Amino acid sequence: MQSKLLIFLLSVLFISSAFCQIEKLKWQKADILYEKQNHYNKRNYSFESDNAGEFVTKSLANAYWFFISDVDGDNCPFHPTCSAFLIQSIKETNIFQASLIFLDRFTRDMNLVKSQNQYPRVRTGYFYDPPGNYMLVKERIIYLPPVFIVESE
Amino acid sequence: MKNYLIIFFLVSISVSPQTTSFDFYSPENIKKFADHLFCEADYLRAIEQYGLISKDCTTDFKVMLGYSLLNLYQESNEIFKSISEKSKFYSDAYLLSLKNSLLMKPASVSAQAIKSFDSIQLNSFNKLKTISMLFDDELSISKDKFISPFDENDINTVSLFYDMKTKPLYKSPALAGVMSAVIPGSGKMYVGEWGDGITAFLATGLLAFLAYDNFRADHTTRAWIFTGLGTFFYAGNIYGSIASAQIFNAKINFEFNEGLKLFLEQKNYFLPEYDFCK
Amino acid sequence: MTSVSKIFFILFFILNVSYRTLAQNSFEHQFNFANELYAKGKYFDAVTELKRLLFFDVTGKFSYEANKIIGLSYKQGAKFSDAIHYFSLAELNADSEEEVYEARIEAIKINILRRTTERTLALLDELRNDERYSDKSDELNYWTGWAYIFSDKWEKASISFSAIVPGHGLALLCDSLADDLYNPTLAKTLSLIPGAGQFYTGEYISGLISIGWNVLWGYLTINAFMEDRIFDGLVIGTLLWWRFYSGNIQNAEKFAVEKNLEKTNNALQYLKNNYDGEKP
Repeated sequence: MQSKLLIFLLSVLFISSAFCQIEKLKWQKADILYEKQNHYNKRNYSFESDNAGEFVTKSLANAYWFFISDVDGDNCPFHPTCSAFLIQSIKETNIFQASLIFLDRFTRDMNLVKSQNQYPRVRTGYFYDPPGNYMLVKERIIYLPPVFIVESE
Repeated sequence: MKNYLIIFFLVSISVSPQTTSFDFYSPENIKKFADHLFCEADYLRAIEQYGLISKDCTTDFKVMLGYSLLNLYQESNEIFKSISEKSKFYSDAYLLSLKNSLLMKPASVSAQAIKSFDSIQLNSFNKLKTISMLFDDELSISKDKFISPFDENDINTVSLFYDMKTKPLYKSPALAGVMSAVIPGSGKMYVGEWGDGITAFLATGLLAFLAYDNFRADHTTRAWIFTGLGTFFYAGNIYGSIASAQIFNAKINFEFNEGLKLFLEQKNYFLPEYDFCK
Repeated sequence: MTSVSKIFFILFFILNVSYRTLAQNSFEHQFNFANELYAKGKYFDAVTELKRLLFFDVTGKFSYEANKIIGLSYKQGAKFSDAIHYFSLAELNADSEEEVYEARIEAIKINILRRTTERTLALLDELRNDERYSDKSDELNYWTGWAYIFSDKWEKASISFSAIVPGHGLALLCDSLADDLYNPTLAKTLSLIPGAGQFYTGEYISGLISIGWNVLWGYLTINAFMEDRIFDGLVIGTLLWWRFYSGNIQNAEKFAVEKNLEKTNNALQYLKNNYDGEKP
């Protein structure tokens, strides 16, 4: 009798835990937004940095963005933009390696016949070109095929 | 009078409205509904309904299959743990659990064949186990042994995958770097980036020429500026060539893995097809 | 007959009739249960129970209503393609003109929400040209207005709402918003004079910086040409002056479009949260 009760309780537990799983998977009411998505790149003008060198670089970048880049139009077909690319590279490596990476990016930007089949894109149409691919660390390379659209950026 | 009463009583019972009194939640009707949902590919609902009735071999396997088709491989394998070895679907469930594990983490199958496999299932198992070896870093099996479990119409594709795995068309980053050191941009062209390579060549070349020209015309400051710029671009081009060779190799790996996954999907991971909806 | 058997007879008769009536309503009961789930916000479960009803309902008595409510449930979960699928099934199973119309309006509302404007307008036109619904022109104009709202055509929306009644609340809202928006083409044209486009969109600092650069490079270019340094003049002119000149035009347009987006999004948010009338 006891074992039957045990089996009954266990089966209830099993069924209810199976239910809990399904409860988690069931879709819920969604908040339907009327607003349109805003895809525009917002500059990060903060001065936060880990050391003096970074602070100097970030200040120079902010000045460049404010006085020059924001008024000379959309000249960079890449995402992240060349200046943001440089900042990120400096953050992750050192100024020497970052300048090499940046010079290579600059050269690739000068390539007038940038093939449609070389880089994947982000939603806004820019070429997706993260600095992580150029650290010379195999494991950091995220290869995506050119037809791919990166939604998360 | 009593007789009439009894007759009336019997008649009214027999003419009970059978069609309009309906138990939606009888185990039989829940099962029918769940089967219907399963055949309509509404697997989540079907699983929920199967959970309301007592389990049997078929429903257990269908729930496991449903989770797998919903891409919920962990949950699918959890169900496998509760399928008894004596179930008539045990061998099928075993094969499905191997597919789930492969989809969760691509790696070679280390499991062994089980006694309850019939010849078709054993065939499936051998194919799956062999092809999964391609997910490992090194292949330690000869080509003949590798292609042996497969059918005639699959041998060419499988053979191709074997070749791509054992002799990948990688480019050497070191060679790309050296080439670009000798002729700027040539490393990138070696990797296949012709546009980038030519641009690098032209940029470095132009700066070198401007430097030389200005030295000749005795404009020393300008000459040194161009020399500096030229050197930077030259160093950047070597670095960039090495990086682009690495990216090229990452592309080879990506295309191999995606190609293999697509092939397996097409073949349903060499598992037998189940049709519960005839 | 004896009085006991009479009582027994009457009781039994009552019980029998009520049993039949109750039993006849087991499908109704299931339908009401599903509706309760919908009312409580348990949309997934509502769909399950309605599918259960539909599976066993061989007479098709509930086909229209059930399919419609399944569509509404999917809509609440923002699963628009599924919703449309079930609204079309509802339309196929409609028993009257009114039901066909309702199903189509629901499909139109989904199309409005997912911004497939061409399709929405085509569906609305179909209904407009249908003689059966010639008395529904006000409602059709209402949804046409909403379709234009969701596709950023505020003047057209205002016209549609005004056709229902001049001075319609939504027409006034659309009009005031349309007046408030910047004209990107005007911004670009004004920018032929550097800085003017940016001033128009309210970005004064940006305008001043643009003017500064354009004056500087313009001066240097013209100066170089006047001093016969043609090569220098060309380089500065094309690499620098042109870059900042075209940049100023692009900038003005960008500001106009960005600020318009902010204003329209505010209006849309207001409509979603504060407007009391019928919404898609």
